Amino acid sequence: MAIDRKKVIDEMSKVSVEANEDGLIPAFNVMVNQWPANFWNEFSRRLVEAVDEDIKGDVEDLLGNAAHECGYHTGYGIITSLEWESIVGPMVENKEDVLHGAFAVFTAWGWADAEVVELIPGEKMVVRAKDYYEADVKENLPGKKSKRLFAHMISGVCAAFMDLAYGGDYSPDGETGLYTFRCKQTKGIECGDEYGEFVVLKSEEYE
Amino acid sequence: MADIKLDHKFDAARNRHYLNDQLSVLHCHHYATLFTQLALDAKDLVDGTGILKEAAEDVFYGVLTNYYQKNSVSDAQEKIKVAIEMFSAFGMGKMSVSGDAGGGEVKLPHAYVDEGWLKKWGKFKAPVNFIGAGYIAGMFAAAYDKPSKTYKVEETQSRVTGAAESVFKVSA
Repeated sequence: MAIDRKKVIDEMSKVSVEANEDGLIPAFNVMVNQWPANFWNEFSRRLVEAVDEDIKGDVEDLLGNAAHECGYHTGYGIITSLEWESIVGPMVENKEDVLHGAFAVFTAWGWADAEVVELIPGEKMVVRAKDYYEADVKENLPGKKSKRLFAHMISGVCAAFMDLAYGGDYSPDGETGLYTFRCKQTKGIECGDEYGEFVVLKSEEYE
Repeated sequence: MADIKLDHKFDAARNRHYLNDQLSVLHCHHYATLFTQLALDAKDLVDGTGILKEAAEDVFYGVLTNYYQKNSVSDAQEKIKVAIEMFSAFGMGKMSVSGDAGGGEVKLPHAYVDEGWLKKWGKFKAPVNFIGAGYIAGMFAAAYDKPSKTYKVEETQSRVTGAAESVFKVSA
């Protein structure tokens, strides 16, 4: 692997964003916000808790879809940015390097300390995260432990990164290229596991 | 304008970012607008938009209250000025505020959720900035030393429905 993960994290974690005179932050081909992580966790937790048991899974899938689209568009913005070109670009030799580099940026930006641990190009990816803000949801739950896997954001973004790597050309409207892969979380710190684990497969192979 | 302090720290051991000691994360307008759409779509099952608004209110109330305590901001009008600046620093847009402890009016010539919604889907038949409404409710409560959920906030005019600016009515 040509990606120097530590160097990418060191450099990309220093990238800061600042609002313009309209109070907006256009960056990386999208409009960015920098809100407390707790806001995202609280809405997700409260919504899932509020719905009946038989549709909690559907609601969680929709939370994952929101992250999937976010990861697809923002991910594309990142890998085509000047920051990427200057810091990660020189290390990239192939699509697999792009994926490893993208997860280093994912880590640098505080979404999750996540790394690819298995990759079958175009087929399957397994990601492990040893720390992530979504796991903090357990702090507001009885016994500080969740009964349900909760890292919908990471799941969505993992699938999105595979879409970008192997799903064909980037589609600005998401008509093609998006949802060619799906991700299933198999372990979670929020449930008491040592790390979060995420398995990404082609959509047609996803159960 | 208030001169707010924005202290950004990166915890390299855990790869986490903090803004004024609050765990902070960058996300995009796709994520925020899809959360909003999900809240709207859930209307037959649960009060999704209410949950979205209350989550924003509770979280931003905590952020603002924490800031006021740490920086010894006690005057209500000064607190409002800080909240206006913080709103922009978070990338949520630009606001002007009038009113007092009994309520008031907030105008947003630029609103993150609306700009994102327009960019992603175009105009809509009804206001969608439930996150902004939550921030405003939290801002009034924090400014006037009231508990969260003291104020009712209604978006009466919205950029996504075609108005030049969004307007929120605040009542106690």
